[in-house]
Amino acid sequence: MFTSHKLVMETKDTDKLLKDFFGEHKQEIHDNGFTRRVMRKLPEQADRSWIVWCFAFVGMMLSLMLGFSSGSIQTAINYILQIPVYYLIGVVFCFPLVSTAGLLLAQNRHF
Amino acid sequence: MSKTDDIRWVTQLTLLGDKSAFDKLTCKYQSPIRRFFLNLTMGDAPLSDDLAQETFIKAYLNIDAFKGISGFSTWLYRIAYNVFYDSVRAQKHYADLDEHVIDCQHQTQNDFSAEKLDIYKAIKQLRREEQTAVLLFYMEDRTQNEIARIMNCPLGTVKTYLLKGKEKLSVYLTQAGYGN
Repeated sequence: MFTSHKLVMETKDTDKLLKDFFGEHKQEIHDNGFTRRVMRKLPEQADRSWIVWCFAFVGMMLSLMLGFSSGSIQTAINYILQIPVYYLIGVVFCFPLVSTAGLLLAQNRHF
Repeated sequence: MSKTDDIRWVTQLTLLGDKSAFDKLTCKYQSPIRRFFLNLTMGDAPLSDDLAQETFIKAYLNIDAFKGISGFSTWLYRIAYNVFYDSVRAQKHYADLDEHVIDCQHQTQNDFSAEKLDIYKAIKQLRREEQTAVLLFYMEDRTQNEIARIMNCPLGTVKTYLLKGKEKLSVYLTQAGYGN
């Protein structure tokens, strides 16, 4: 019993000794252009950003089709037409402010 | 920066071929990977930088093979481990280099202090597999399961490497006056 307790204590001590030792010698290596050198050596790959545009186009087409077939787009247009003009002007002026504020908030939160 | 960032950047790279995403991954992991190599090569900075560069290039070329089962860092360490052992096999003479010659090279090529040499002397007490396991566990804060995945060996073997490494290091460090 005493022997096993002693063994556990010794193992803990060794662990602490090694953690302290390696912790002391752990160094952060500064980039010093390493990433740039790696990036320069990478082979060129085809730009596949067209996939995003392709999906965006298909998505937009689908939503327009569904919107027109269900009549929700016509309803939305009628609804907008009933809104007084000065409300619409207010929305147009507020939009950049609100979107900029949203963007700043998102950047601060590192989404 | 979390693991979700890693997944996002890997996705950007694999789906869109967005190179800047890999730039972020390299920037994030260059320090731990270079440190890992620096310790394995006993402080040979130019060699460890070459090996790290090879690791990142291999990761970029084989990024489609990353399934996300283990973390990106574990996958990267696995590549680094393979790169290092390939290099050891390719340069047999490296292992036979005289200790004194290595120490002299260190002193001329790098800004080495006595403290830094201490760690290399300590690591030299271990066998290569023990060195890798101990460095990954104590220096790089990897779990035993992750080390088993990186070294592609059973968990029991990793535990044995760590135990043996611990015993040897404990004796060496106590003699060197670290435990007091």
